Amino acid sequence: MQPTSSMNEQFLKKWQMGLQIFRPSIDNTSVSERKRAIKLSADVAMASLRKGTTCWSRALIQKAATEDSFLVRQMLAGIKEETLINRKLPKIVCHRKIVRRSKKILMRRKSRSAMEEVTAKAKKLVKRKTKGLRNVVPGGEFMSNNVLLIQETLDYIVSLQTQVNVMRSIVDAAEAGVER
Amino acid sequence: MMMTMMMNGGEATEAELFLNCDDMSVLERQRVQLNYHQYHHPGFEPTLPCFFPNSSKMNVGEVDSFLPSAGLDLPEIYGELHGDARISVSPGNITTESENSKKRKFGCVDTETKVCNEKKKMMMMMDREVAVEEEEEEEKSKVTEQSTRSIMKMKEQNSCSNDSSKVTKDSQRTDYIHVRARRGQATDSHSIAERARREKISERMKFLQDLVPGCEKITGKAGMLDEIINYVQSLQRQVEFLSMKLATVSPRVDFNIDDIFAKEVVSAPMMNLPNTVMPPHMMVNSGYPHDMVNSGYVHFNPMQQVVTSSDPLSCFNNGQSATMWDSDVQNLYSNLGV
Repeated sequence: MQPTSSMNEQFLKKWQMGLQIFRPSIDNTSVSERKRAIKLSADVAMASLRKGTTCWSRALIQKAATEDSFLVRQMLAGIKEETLINRKLPKIVCHRKIVRRSKKILMRRKSRSAMEEVTAKAKKLVKRKTKGLRNVVPGGEFMSNNVLLIQETLDYIVSLQTQVNVMRSIVDAAEAGVER
Repeated sequence: MMMTMMMNGGEATEAELFLNCDDMSVLERQRVQLNYHQYHHPGFEPTLPCFFPNSSKMNVGEVDSFLPSAGLDLPEIYGELHGDARISVSPGNITTESENSKKRKFGCVDTETKVCNEKKKMMMMMDREVAVEEEEEEEKSKVTEQSTRSIMKMKEQNSCSNDSSKVTKDSQRTDYIHVRARRGQATDSHSIAERARREKISERMKFLQDLVPGCEKITGKAGMLDEIINYVQSLQRQVEFLSMKLATVSPRVDFNIDDIFAKEVVSAPMMNLPNTVMPPHMMVNSGYPHDMVNSGYVHFNPMQQVVTSSDPLSCFNNGQSATMWDSDVQNLYSNLGV
């Protein structure tokens, strides 16, 4: 599924709304400040399109709220911003040493054939990759199983594509405007 | 993706309803499409083949004695359900989505049985996320069709379980999701659940293959995951880069929209902003009376249309030529003295 033009539209509207909030503040003179404001409002706009239905959007909103909760509150006005901001996601805590020790014991007990070793290595590789994916997708550590992870990744990718498309077109248009 | 489906009677019209529903997320639409793909091309769907299970009868006996686990602590296979139940924000939204997906699942099962009518039923993958049940869903379940061989029972919210047996449909409140095992494979309830999980994952990975460019040839999970990770990282980096570029290009944070749009053509669905609040500074610059600025709403008399030139915003066009332009917006920008 590719991002639709209506998604682009909605994202742009929300993003503009977020940027309006920054407009009155005179501190946005440095490039880095402006960049931070732009990126933050773009991220919150992208996440708010999902209206709290997906895990990654909630995690993204929470992260943004730690940076600038006023902005988030304004942008999410009417979409249960309080619950979204204040909620604490259940974190999956894994005591790595204990897990590793018990796994070592299990591995010693098992007698391994060639086939089993191959599949075990493949599984390890997949596990490592899924861990990497969890680190990349916002809120990935809170997704309890792989099916949910892949689902959220799907949605996240589509939203990211929307975001990138809109931003790129704005940048191109702005540059074209500057040149004239 | 276009959702053109051939409507084929009662069971399809419900789907039509929620295909048009705006509340559906991307994934719901994808699932609908997948299920309708199954509906119309049953032979293509590798995950739900039809076999003759010899062991099914034995299976029914042992599995029926398996007691469902109560409570919200659902096993991993129902991870999605679990996640949704924990994190549900607006009950209204969630129920409509789960109602829709539940309807869809019923439809899917019924068509399956029609296809495999002479053959015995195979393992059904039920999406447990659907099983967040409330009263409305039970009513909807009565609407769906009865199927001859395999019918479905949906268990109420707290009692989904790992079991697998014949699929039956019932309009009572407490129902079970029964699944039948495939021939020649372990009938252990755990492995069946695992298999269902694995198939769900590979289903989703197929969607990802469509999304991520350049993934058609990669077959393994690890390779696919690698590509996905790289793609997501590259998209995130692009966002950073673009925001930095935008910050350098425009001196103001809200990057002066009139510069951008006044010269461009945007297609009909885009930028339908009849009632947007105009940023006051823009109106002051163009010399509008102060009270209009303060009111925040702008009304214009119809004027001649703005002729526009190049189209950097073509990404919004999707290849269509601009047909309509909301007249208010056009006038707005023309009045700003482009």
